[in-house]
Amino acid sequence: MKIFLEKLVVNYPFTIAVFLFMIGALIVLTKSNLFKKLIGINVMESAIYIMFAGGGNIRGGAVPILEEATPKSLFINPLPSALMLTGIVVSVSVTAFGLALIIRLYKTYGTTDARKIAEMRNEVIKG
Amino acid sequence: MMTAITDNLSVFVVILPLFIAFVLPTFARRMKLVEGLVISVETLWLIGVGYLASIVLMQKGLPIIYKLGGWEAPWGIELKVDSLGAFFLLVIVGVSLPVALFARGNLTEEVGSKERVIRFYVLYLLLGGAMAGMAVTNDLFNVFVLVEVATLSCCGLVSAGNHPRAAEAAFKYLILATLGSTLLLGGIGFIYMTTGHLNMSFAHGELAQVWQNSPHVVWMAFSFMLVGFGVKSAVFPLHVWLPDAHSNAPTPASAILSSIAVKGYLICLLKVLYNVFGPALMVQFNVHRILMLAGMVAIIAGSIRALAQDELKRRLAYSTVAQVGYILLGFGLMNIKSLTGALFYLASHAVIKSSLFLAAGAMIGATGKKNISELAGIGRKMPYTMAAFTIGSLSLIGIPLFSGFIGKWNLLLGGLETGNILSAIVIVLGSVMCAVYLLPIIRIAYFEPAPEEDWQDPGLPQKIALILLSAAVMILGILPGPVLELATRAATELLMFQ
Repeated sequence: MKIFLEKLVVNYPFTIAVFLFMIGALIVLTKSNLFKKLIGINVMESAIYIMFAGGGNIRGGAVPILEEATPKSLFINPLPSALMLTGIVVSVSVTAFGLALIIRLYKTYGTTDARKIAEMRNEVIKG
Repeated sequence: MMTAITDNLSVFVVILPLFIAFVLPTFARRMKLVEGLVISVETLWLIGVGYLASIVLMQKGLPIIYKLGGWEAPWGIELKVDSLGAFFLLVIVGVSLPVALFARGNLTEEVGSKERVIRFYVLYLLLGGAMAGMAVTNDLFNVFVLVEVATLSCCGLVSAGNHPRAAEAAFKYLILATLGSTLLLGGIGFIYMTTGHLNMSFAHGELAQVWQNSPHVVWMAFSFMLVGFGVKSAVFPLHVWLPDAHSNAPTPASAILSSIAVKGYLICLLKVLYNVFGPALMVQFNVHRILMLAGMVAIIAGSIRALAQDELKRRLAYSTVAQVGYILLGFGLMNIKSLTGALFYLASHAVIKSSLFLAAGAMIGATGKKNISELAGIGRKMPYTMAAFTIGSLSLIGIPLFSGFIGKWNLLLGGLETGNILSAIVIVLGSVMCAVYLLPIIRIAYFEPAPEEDWQDPGLPQKIALILLSAAVMILGILPGPVLELATRAATELLMFQ
């Protein structure tokens, strides 16, 4: 148990990532407000970014290209950070598209609550 | 000039649709020009892919490897056109050309103004390009980026319809698909952190040696990948978005989503499972059993849900959930016969389901009625459309001489080869249920008295599209030839991959 807790503390980026991921998934799956769903998606994605960046980091490592590597300090791995830049671009476009859809839904139904939208739609079908 | 084109053909087949997609919006309001351009690009694409596939067929198993930017493999990004890639490229182009033909002059009613139609074509080509990229890429992060391009264009296509339910379905799809791609990115992260490679071949080689150091991480990577691709390809318990999205999209969009988009993610799942983790690790972690179970449950549950629907497009959408089950079952059985069957069934389902969706869309467009019970006697008013629908239905059921039969037969043989009687029973039962939910439509259409209304077959391009797809269904069933050979070779390569 003690070793397990120690691992959690030493690898704190991963611990944070796991918690953020769970929070995000909870928001997406339980909240009915469309904005909150979108925010939940963004929180989940941030968790993955932290995981990647933490995986590429070496504590006390040198910055690649700008600094010279010495035998004591290694270069940190720049690839995961570069990959996550792409990931951020992707998530921005997803968010923008989701917001556009929310605007369209709000213009039709006058609300941004998924449950109310479902109710209104069912009434339309029945009537 | 010629050699420059043939050398770079494997990247051209990905870039061509992507490039043209971004040129289209500059021809604002000139719809005839845009439609002509899209169809000619699709034709050019078909020629390129056909040439590439013939090279792959002639090389007997040697894949064409293309290094993007000239960088060598572990550092640069590789495109690898192997039998699987060539096979799926053929499926993509073979379906998207007729569907583009069907869309010609037929979209304004469902989509709205001219600008919206042109944007629809942009997304259509983007989806095709992303799918082609997913078929040939050999890099894990590239898979993620292309999956995202495909997902966003799918959501755009779903939301293209000019009724409010389209936006709702698109939002549901967007949230669930993004959940899936986040999990996918996490899975890629786990693989990268255990192996230090993003190139599939290198990651596979490294993973075979180091997986014992961190079995839990590999386990997590497996589950993230399975659920991530599972959400996107509508594997049964994760299919909730599919019926809404596919039944509310405009007709060409629902055809292309049901036939190509779902399959692209399945092909990526196949590549990740067999080319990165490898068959040995799959057996070690019992993933093949999960795939088999998910496949069988999907066949039964999807068919039952399809039976309960009265709305024509929703019934077809639930049928897609059931057919995805067959493909997964084939992936899980893990022998050459079953994988060949799964891949061939994937191709034939792509052709069949696009023809069914186009025929259904033509009927709904002509009559304005969405429910099956209201379409009585339509076979006498719209002979071409209903003939295409009938050919598609018979093939999906798996009647011999139609393309669905060869896929199902190989799957059945594969199941019996591994001694898995249950899978054979489920395959046959799924066929019977498919007959139960498709044949009543044909009975209503032909054997009920014809209505008074003046329902007419769609215009000439639509008729040609339906005839092309029906012909493809028949030809694949009678002379499967090169397609079946590519599928067999792809299955062999996947299982022998070292």
